[in-house]
Amino acid sequence: MSFGRPPSISTGFSPTPPDRGSFPLDHFAECREYMKAYLDCLKKSGSNSTPCRHLNKEYLECRMQRGLMDRDDWKNLGLANL
Amino acid sequence: MYTSAVIILGVGVTYAAVPLYRMFCAATGFAGTPKVGMGKFEADRLVPVEDTKRIKVHFNADTSDALPWSFIPQQKHVSVLPGETSLAFYKAKNTSNQDIIGIATYNVTPDRVAPYFAKVECFCFEEQKLLAGEEVDMPLLFFIDKDILDDPACRNLDDVVLSYTFFRARRNAQGHLEPDASEATVQASLGFDKFENAPKAENRRKDDKESPVSS
Repeated sequence: MSFGRPPSISTGFSPTPPDRGSFPLDHFAECREYMKAYLDCLKKSGSNSTPCRHLNKEYLECRMQRGLMDRDDWKNLGLANL
Repeated sequence: MYTSAVIILGVGVTYAAVPLYRMFCAATGFAGTPKVGMGKFEADRLVPVEDTKRIKVHFNADTSDALPWSFIPQQKHVSVLPGETSLAFYKAKNTSNQDIIGIATYNVTPDRVAPYFAKVECFCFEEQKLLAGEEVDMPLLFFIDKDILDDPACRNLDDVVLSYTFFRARRNAQGHLEPDASEATVQASLGFDKFENAPKAENRRKDDKESPVSS
Protein backbone atom coordinates (compact mmCIF):
# COMPACT_ATOMS: atom_id res chain seq x y z
CA MET A 1 0.00 0.00 0.00
CA SER A 2 1.21 3.53 -0.59
CA PHE A 3 1.83 5.83 2.34
CA GLY A 4 1.69 9.60 2.55
CA ARG A 5 -1.69 9.86 0.81
CA PRO A 6 -4.45 12.12 2.21
CA PRO A 7 -6.25 10.71 5.25
CA SER A 8 -9.03 8.35 4.43
CA ILE A 9 -11.05 5.69 6.20
CA SER A 10 -8.17 3.26 6.09
CA THR A 11 -5.34 5.59 7.12
CA GLY A 12 -6.37 8.56 9.22
CA PHE A 13 -9.48 7.27 10.84
CA SER A 14 -8.14 4.13 12.43
CA PRO A 15 -5.79 4.02 15.42
CA THR A 16 -2.72 2.21 14.12
CA PRO A 17 -0.76 0.02 16.48
CA PRO A 18 2.91 0.79 17.09
CA ASP A 19 5.34 -0.89 14.72
CA ARG A 20 7.26 -2.77 17.38
CA GLY A 21 4.50 -3.20 19.89
CA SER A 22 4.95 -2.29 23.49
CA PHE A 23 8.10 -1.56 25.50
CA PRO A 24 8.47 -4.08 28.35
CA LEU A 25 8.06 -2.35 31.68
CA ASP A 26 11.28 -1.31 33.40
CA HIS A 27 10.17 -2.61 36.80
CA PHE A 28 13.55 -2.13 38.47
CA ALA A 29 14.19 1.34 37.00
CA GLU A 30 17.44 0.11 35.48
CA CYS A 31 17.51 2.80 32.81
CA ARG A 32 16.18 5.67 34.89
CA GLU A 33 19.53 7.53 34.94
CA TYR A 34 19.61 7.66 31.14
CA MET A 35 16.02 8.87 31.13
CA LYS A 36 16.86 11.63 33.62
CA ALA A 37 19.84 12.71 31.51
CA TYR A 38 17.61 12.96 28.46
CA LEU A 39 14.90 14.92 30.28
CA ASP A 40 17.46 17.37 31.71
CA CYS A 41 18.91 17.89 28.24
CA LEU A 42 15.42 18.56 26.88
CA LYS A 43 14.82 21.22 29.52
CA LYS A 44 18.15 22.91 28.76
CA SER A 45 17.60 22.90 25.01
CA GLY A 46 14.12 24.40 25.32
CA SER A 47 12.31 21.19 24.33
CA ASN A 48 14.31 20.95 21.13
CA SER A 49 14.74 17.29 20.31
CA THR A 50 17.79 17.41 18.01
CA PRO A 51 20.57 18.19 20.56
CA CYS A 52 19.36 15.39 22.80
CA ARG A 53 19.15 12.57 20.29
CA HIS A 54 22.42 10.98 21.39
CA LEU A 55 20.81 10.52 24.79
CA ASN A 56 17.88 8.77 23.08
CA LYS A 57 20.43 6.37 21.67
CA GLU A 58 21.99 5.80 25.11
CA TYR A 59 18.65 5.13 26.73
CA LEU A 60 17.66 2.59 24.07
CA GLU A 61 21.12 1.03 24.28
CA CYS A 62 20.57 0.61 28.03
CA ARG A 63 17.26 -1.12 27.34
CA MET A 64 18.78 -3.41 24.74
CA GLN A 65 21.61 -4.42 27.06
CA ARG A 66 19.23 -5.37 29.85
CA GLY A 67 16.80 -7.31 27.69
CA LEU A 68 14.12 -4.64 27.85
CA MET A 69 14.08 -4.18 24.09
CA ASP A 70 14.92 -6.30 21.05
CA ARG A 71 18.34 -5.41 19.71
CA ASP A 72 18.15 -3.77 16.30
CA ASP A 73 20.24 -1.62 13.97
CA TRP A 74 20.19 2.07 14.78
CA LYS A 75 19.13 2.96 11.26
CA ASN A 76 15.91 0.99 11.73
CA LEU A 77 15.15 3.19 14.74
CA GLY A 78 16.10 6.41 13.00
CA LEU A 79 19.17 7.01 15.19
CA ALA A 80 21.91 6.22 12.69
CA ASN A 81 24.01 9.37 12.14
CA LEU A 82 24.67 10.36 15.75
CA MET B 1 33.88 -40.25 -4.39
CA TYR B 2 30.84 -38.84 -6.10
CA THR B 3 28.51 -40.04 -3.34
CA SER B 4 30.70 -38.59 -0.59
CA ALA B 5 30.61 -35.20 -2.35
CA VAL B 6 26.82 -35.43 -2.55
CA ILE B 7 26.62 -36.35 1.15
CA ILE B 8 28.86 -33.41 2.17
CA LEU B 9 26.78 -31.07 0.00
CA GLY B 10 23.60 -32.37 1.60
CA VAL B 11 24.95 -31.80 5.12
CA GLY B 12 26.11 -28.30 4.15
CA VAL B 13 22.68 -27.41 2.81
CA THR B 14 20.97 -28.53 6.02
CA TYR B 15 23.27 -26.24 8.00
CA ALA B 16 22.55 -23.37 5.64
CA ALA B 17 18.81 -23.98 5.82
CA VAL B 18 18.41 -22.51 9.31
CA PRO B 19 19.58 -18.95 8.59
CA LEU B 20 18.02 -19.05 5.14
CA TYR B 21 14.66 -20.04 6.62
CA ARG B 22 14.92 -17.23 9.15
CA MET B 23 15.63 -14.72 6.37
CA PHE B 24 12.69 -16.07 4.37
CA CYS B 25 10.35 -15.79 7.37
CA ALA B 26 11.44 -12.26 8.18
CA ALA B 27 10.94 -11.15 4.59
CA THR B 28 7.55 -12.77 4.03
CA GLY B 29 6.08 -12.95 7.53
CA PHE B 30 5.57 -16.69 7.10
CA ALA B 31 4.63 -18.75 10.19
CA GLY B 32 3.62 -15.62 12.11
CA THR B 33 7.00 -13.87 12.17
CA PRO B 34 6.28 -10.25 13.07
CA LYS B 35 7.13 -7.86 10.26
CA VAL B 36 8.93 -4.85 11.64
CA GLY B 37 10.24 -1.86 9.77
CA MET B 38 7.91 -2.14 6.77
CA GLY B 39 6.06 0.52 4.82
CA LYS B 40 6.16 3.80 6.63
CA PHE B 41 8.63 2.49 9.21
CA GLU B 42 11.39 1.68 6.74
CA ALA B 43 14.84 2.89 7.72
CA ASP B 44 15.09 5.53 5.01
CA ARG B 45 11.89 7.22 6.17
CA LEU B 46 13.26 7.67 9.68
CA VAL B 47 15.72 10.39 8.65
CA PRO B 48 15.12 13.92 9.94
CA VAL B 49 14.41 16.56 7.30
CA GLU B 50 16.75 19.45 8.16
CA ASP B 51 15.86 23.13 7.83
CA THR B 52 12.12 22.70 8.14
CA LYS B 53 9.77 24.20 10.65
CA ARG B 54 9.68 22.32 13.92
CA ILE B 55 6.46 20.80 15.17
CA LYS B 56 5.78 21.02 18.88
CA VAL B 57 4.26 17.85 20.29
CA HIS B 58 2.43 18.37 23.59
CA PHE B 59 1.78 15.47 25.91
CA ASN B 60 -1.40 14.81 27.82
CA ALA B 61 -2.28 12.02 30.21
CA ASP B 62 -5.62 10.88 31.60
CA THR B 63 -6.80 8.02 33.69
CA SER B 64 -10.27 6.58 34.01
CA ASP B 65 -11.99 7.16 37.35
CA ALA B 66 -11.98 3.44 38.07
CA LEU B 67 -8.19 3.26 37.88
CA PRO B 68 -6.31 4.31 41.07
CA TRP B 69 -3.11 5.20 39.22
CA SER B 70 -1.36 8.51 38.91
CA PHE B 71 -0.30 8.90 35.30
CA ILE B 72 1.60 11.98 34.15
CA PRO B 73 3.82 12.96 31.22
CA GLN B 74 7.41 13.65 32.22
CA GLN B 75 7.91 16.43 29.69
CA LYS B 76 5.34 19.00 28.66
CA HIS B 77 6.34 19.17 25.01
CA VAL B 78 9.06 18.27 22.50
CA SER B 79 9.83 20.17 19.29
CA VAL B 80 10.63 17.70 16.53
CA LEU B 81 11.53 17.84 12.87
CA PRO B 82 9.53 15.72 10.39
CA GLY B 83 11.11 12.31 10.04
CA GLU B 84 13.01 12.60 13.32
CA THR B 85 12.43 9.81 15.83
CA SER B 86 12.11 11.04 19.36
CA LEU B 87 11.62 9.56 22.81
CA ALA B 88 9.03 10.76 25.29
CA PHE B 89 8.34 9.51 28.80
CA TYR B 90 5.29 9.07 30.97
CA LYS B 91 5.28 8.02 34.58
CA ALA B 92 2.62 5.78 36.09
CA LYS B 93 2.21 4.91 39.75
CA ASN B 94 -0.20 2.40 41.18
CA THR B 95 -1.41 4.18 44.30
CA SER B 96 -3.62 1.36 45.52
CA ASN B 97 -2.73 -1.76 47.52
CA GLN B 98 -3.62 -4.26 44.79
CA ASP B 99 -1.88 -5.35 41.60
CA ILE B 100 -3.80 -3.84 38.73
CA ILE B 101 -3.63 -4.41 34.99
CA GLY B 102 -4.19 -1.30 32.92
CA ILE B 103 -4.59 -0.76 29.22
CA ALA B 104 -3.97 2.54 27.46
CA THR B 105 -5.47 4.17 24.41
CA TYR B 106 -4.08 7.22 22.67
CA ASN B 107 -5.27 10.02 20.48
CA VAL B 108 -3.57 12.66 18.35
CA THR B 109 -5.10 16.05 17.63
CA PRO B 110 -5.62 17.82 15.27
CA ASP B 111 -7.15 15.07 13.14
CA ARG B 112 -5.25 16.02 10.01
CA VAL B 113 -1.90 15.06 11.54
CA ALA B 114 -3.07 11.58 12.59
CA PRO B 115 -2.00 9.73 9.41
CA TYR B 116 1.52 11.18 9.71
CA PHE B 117 2.00 10.52 13.39
CA ALA B 118 3.67 7.15 13.73
CA LYS B 119 4.74 5.32 16.84
CA VAL B 120 7.67 2.97 16.57
CA GLU B 121 7.21 1.56 20.06
CA CYS B 122 5.04 2.65 22.96
CA PHE B 123 2.98 1.27 25.81
CA CYS B 124 -0.54 1.47 24.43
CA PHE B 125 -3.12 -1.17 23.50
CA GLU B 126 -1.33 -3.89 25.47
CA GLU B 127 -1.90 -4.75 29.09
CA GLN B 128 0.49 -3.19 31.59
CA LYS B 129 0.52 -4.67 35.04
CA LEU B 130 1.65 -2.54 37.95
CA LEU B 131 2.15 -4.11 41.37
CA ALA B 132 0.66 -2.39 44.41
CA GLY B 133 2.53 0.86 45.02
CA GLU B 134 4.82 0.41 42.02
CA GLU B 135 5.99 3.38 40.00
CA VAL B 136 7.35 2.86 36.52
CA ASP B 137 8.58 5.03 33.63
CA MET B 138 6.89 4.35 30.32
CA PRO B 139 8.76 5.40 27.18
CA LEU B 140 7.39 6.09 23.76
CA LEU B 141 9.37 6.28 20.50
CA PHE B 142 7.56 8.22 17.80
CA PHE B 143 8.09 10.35 14.72
CA ILE B 144 6.10 12.54 12.38
CA ASP B 145 6.33 11.22 8.82
CA LYS B 146 8.08 13.60 6.44
CA ASP B 147 5.20 13.40 3.94
CA ILE B 148 3.47 15.92 6.18
CA LEU B 149 5.56 18.56 4.36
CA ASP B 150 3.71 17.69 1.13
CA ASP B 151 0.23 17.89 2.63
CA PRO B 152 -1.34 21.32 2.00
CA ALA B 153 -3.81 20.81 4.85
CA CYS B 154 -0.94 20.58 7.34
CA ARG B 155 0.96 23.59 6.07
CA ASN B 156 0.56 25.83 9.13
CA LEU B 157 0.51 23.07 11.68
CA ASP B 158 2.67 24.04 14.65
CA ASP B 159 1.25 22.12 17.59
CA VAL B 160 0.19 18.55 18.02
CA VAL B 161 -1.34 17.11 21.17
CA LEU B 162 -0.79 13.48 22.01
CA SER B 163 -3.13 12.19 24.74
CA TYR B 164 -2.94 8.86 26.46
CA THR B 165 -5.78 7.51 28.58
CA PHE B 166 -5.25 4.61 30.94
CA PHE B 167 -8.18 2.35 31.74
CA ARG B 168 -8.51 -0.61 33.98
CA ALA B 169 -8.39 -3.83 31.96
CA ARG B 170 -11.13 -6.43 32.04
CA ARG B 171 -11.75 -9.56 30.01
CA ASN B 172 -14.63 -9.45 27.57
CA ALA B 173 -16.83 -12.38 26.54
CA GLN B 174 -14.19 -13.52 24.05
CA GLY B 175 -11.52 -13.58 26.77
CA HIS B 176 -9.60 -10.59 25.44
CA LEU B 177 -8.38 -7.76 27.64
CA GLU B 178 -10.15 -4.52 26.91
CA PRO B 179 -10.60 -1.19 28.70
CA ASP B 180 -13.04 -1.37 31.60
CA ALA B 181 -15.21 1.54 30.57
CA SER B 182 -18.26 2.14 28.44
CA GLU B 183 -17.76 1.93 24.68
CA ALA B 184 -18.56 5.65 24.41
CA THR B 185 -15.78 6.58 26.85
CA VAL B 186 -13.23 4.42 25.06
CA GLN B 187 -14.16 5.85 21.66
CA ALA B 188 -13.94 9.36 23.11
CA SER B 189 -10.40 8.66 24.34
CA LEU B 190 -9.51 7.55 20.80
CA GLY B 191 -10.94 10.78 19.40
CA PHE B 192 -13.94 9.19 17.71
CA ASP B 193 -16.67 10.67 19.91
CA LYS B 194 -17.99 12.83 17.09
CA PHE B 195 -18.34 9.92 14.68
CA GLU B 196 -21.07 7.32 14.51
CA ASN B 197 -19.63 3.93 15.32
CA ALA B 198 -20.93 0.65 13.94
CA PRO B 199 -21.55 -2.02 16.59
CA LYS B 200 -18.66 -4.42 17.13
CA ALA B 201 -18.67 -7.70 15.19
CA GLU B 202 -19.37 -9.82 18.26
CA ASN B 203 -22.43 -7.68 19.06
CA ARG B 204 -23.67 -7.57 15.48
CA ARG B 205 -24.08 -11.34 15.30
CA LYS B 206 -26.52 -11.26 18.18
CA ASP B 207 -28.68 -8.76 16.26
CA ASP B 208 -28.65 -10.94 13.14
CA LYS B 209 -30.15 -13.85 15.05
CA GLU B 210 -33.12 -11.68 16.05
CA SER B 211 -33.88 -10.41 12.54
CA PRO B 212 -36.28 -12.51 10.43
CA VAL B 213 -34.66 -14.73 7.80
CA SER B 214 -36.30 -14.46 4.39
CA SER B 215 -36.12 -17.53 2.22
